[in-house]
Amino acid sequence: MTQPTPLLQVRDLRVNVGERTVLHSVSLDVQPGQLVVLMGANGSGKSTLGMALAGHPHYSVQGGQALLGGQDLLQLPAHERARAGLFLSFQSPPDVPGVKNNFFIRTALNAMHEARGQEPLDAFDFLASAKKAAKDLGLPEAMLARPVNEGFSGGERKRNELLQLSLLKPRLALLDEIDSGMDVDGVRAVVALVQKLRSEGTAFIVISHYLQMIEQLEPDAVLRLDQGCIAEAGDLELARSIARTGFARARAQAAEA
Amino acid sequence: MDSARADILAARDHLQQRGWIARRSEAFHHLPPPALDQWLGAQEPQSCEAPALDGSGWTLHPIHNQFGNHASSGIHARWLDALAPAERSELFADLPLPGSDEAAPFAWAHRALCRLGLRLRISATPGKEREPVWLELRHKPRAQAEAPLLVLDVEPGVHCVLIETHERQADACHRQVAQNLYAHVRLGAGAQLQHLRIVSPAGTDSVAHHVHATLAAGAHYAQALVATSSGYHLQRNHVTLEGRGAQARSAALLLAGADKIDLQNYTRIQAAHCASSVQALALAQGRAHVVANAHTYIAAGADEADVHQRLTGVPLAGNPRLILRPHLEILHDNVQAAHGATWGALPEDALFYARQRGLDEASARALIIEGMARALLARCLGNEDNGLLAQWLQGGWLAHAIGAQLQGDAEVQHG
Repeated sequence: MTQPTPLLQVRDLRVNVGERTVLHSVSLDVQPGQLVVLMGANGSGKSTLGMALAGHPHYSVQGGQALLGGQDLLQLPAHERARAGLFLSFQSPPDVPGVKNNFFIRTALNAMHEARGQEPLDAFDFLASAKKAAKDLGLPEAMLARPVNEGFSGGERKRNELLQLSLLKPRLALLDEIDSGMDVDGVRAVVALVQKLRSEGTAFIVISHYLQMIEQLEPDAVLRLDQGCIAEAGDLELARSIARTGFARARAQAAEA
Repeated sequence: MDSARADILAARDHLQQRGWIARRSEAFHHLPPPALDQWLGAQEPQSCEAPALDGSGWTLHPIHNQFGNHASSGIHARWLDALAPAERSELFADLPLPGSDEAAPFAWAHRALCRLGLRLRISATPGKEREPVWLELRHKPRAQAEAPLLVLDVEPGVHCVLIETHERQADACHRQVAQNLYAHVRLGAGAQLQHLRIVSPAGTDSVAHHVHATLAAGAHYAQALVATSSGYHLQRNHVTLEGRGAQARSAALLLAGADKIDLQNYTRIQAAHCASSVQALALAQGRAHVVANAHTYIAAGADEADVHQRLTGVPLAGNPRLILRPHLEILHDNVQAAHGATWGALPEDALFYARQRGLDEASARALIIEGMARALLARCLGNEDNGLLAQWLQGGWLAHAIGAQLQGDAEVQHG
């Protein structure tokens, strides 16, 4: 039986940040609705993968290929990658002073609608759905009227990323340490939202060190990134093993094997 | 000769004796103003087939306030003819004579050319003493060279919200205007004034606005200025905190385009427990030339004064000149003062964040810039849903002006 065409297909991706090569050769496939967990020691290149796929100008792709739904991501400017269905949840979401959260998200949604030739959203309809999504995520409604991320705690910033994820409904979401700064209710909200969106076909790459959340997410695959390469691929057992022994031991064990 | 005529001739004579602003002048050497003739209307009229200026000078427009009603009964307005001796005397009564500072020639030129002025007194609306008095003041030029005057008194304890606009109707007249405007704002004890000033001259105009504000004890003055550039554009504020506990905040958004703006802010703190904050954000491109100057003087005895200055310049494209000059002069020990100037590009992380959410580069830039502008104005005027700023922003002027600036930015980049 032939494998279905992956939603995301990355081949031999090599990325420089400044003069330094951070990703040497990364290849991975993600099917629609699949969830891949990416683990790795600090500096192994996990965030670089997300930034490079999203088209951050400081992350320079030196070689390789990345296709999303058959479309060559690397040829697209950053906003067109987003419109093609790639969502990146930032590890440290920045402030956008003076821009109200609900306006920011509605502008983003309308940009997506415009790209698809759809009518812009009615402001009242949008606000109603934004309020409901915020409530589901445990984000106070007042956050919608505040400037994006300004004065938000670490956990609130992450919930705000989830709010955008739930409203934008991308084809592929890359969540970079979404659990950091989150309380237990926040982590539950992550799991619930990811499950819901997966059932609707959204694929996920989740970067995390938090085993309890990883277990709840029921990943299809776990990858260990080491020095800019995929060093190991496995299932949930790989995540448990890393949690037990640490990255240094995992690296040594992989070398022995 | 009547006294009005004599006063005008005396002002002209003074200018002839003392001359115009010196090229070496500390305040004006970065952006020297056009020659005196232009401010006196002495130049030959340009050949221009456009219809004559049909502006009406100052007009007053009571506006719906946050309580949904007109609050005009507390507004006492007098339009006074500066060529009629009795009215001139009333118009200039209790105003200081032009001094001898660097900008004094502007003041003398104003005395020489002023034809009409407006005196406004704001008192509480009977029965609604706790409600703010809202009003809009519009000025449209009446002559190619003019010297409008505004005297605004806010009575003790009264809260006033004022939008003051200076805009040219693009289709009305293309004649070049030289406008030398003086506004005297006086706040009684405990009075509050939220003052939003929108100044958007035509590209060829020469504009010099001088706002002199004095604050009695416990008075609060918040002035937000949004200014677009022109051939010559000066905005000069003198704010004097005379009474204990007075507070002044100013925020200036300078949309310099590819032209010139000179912002000069002078604050004098003369009493104890006063606070002052001066902020400016200048956006410039091409060959724009922007000067933003903040000078705060803390007098001896101004115990526990709290002073902030923050000047920010963002070059959007091309090679604009952005000169930011924060300056403190402190003559008392027990004060807090902080100042800074920042030149820099738009925040890259926020720009990429917006682009990752699907906004193209132009839309992302516009969003970030408008956000910075809104944040600046909100720090001065507050951010209440029904407040002055929210009401003004609903009109879309700011978004339109920033869009126009960025369109110019794109032309600079491509052209």
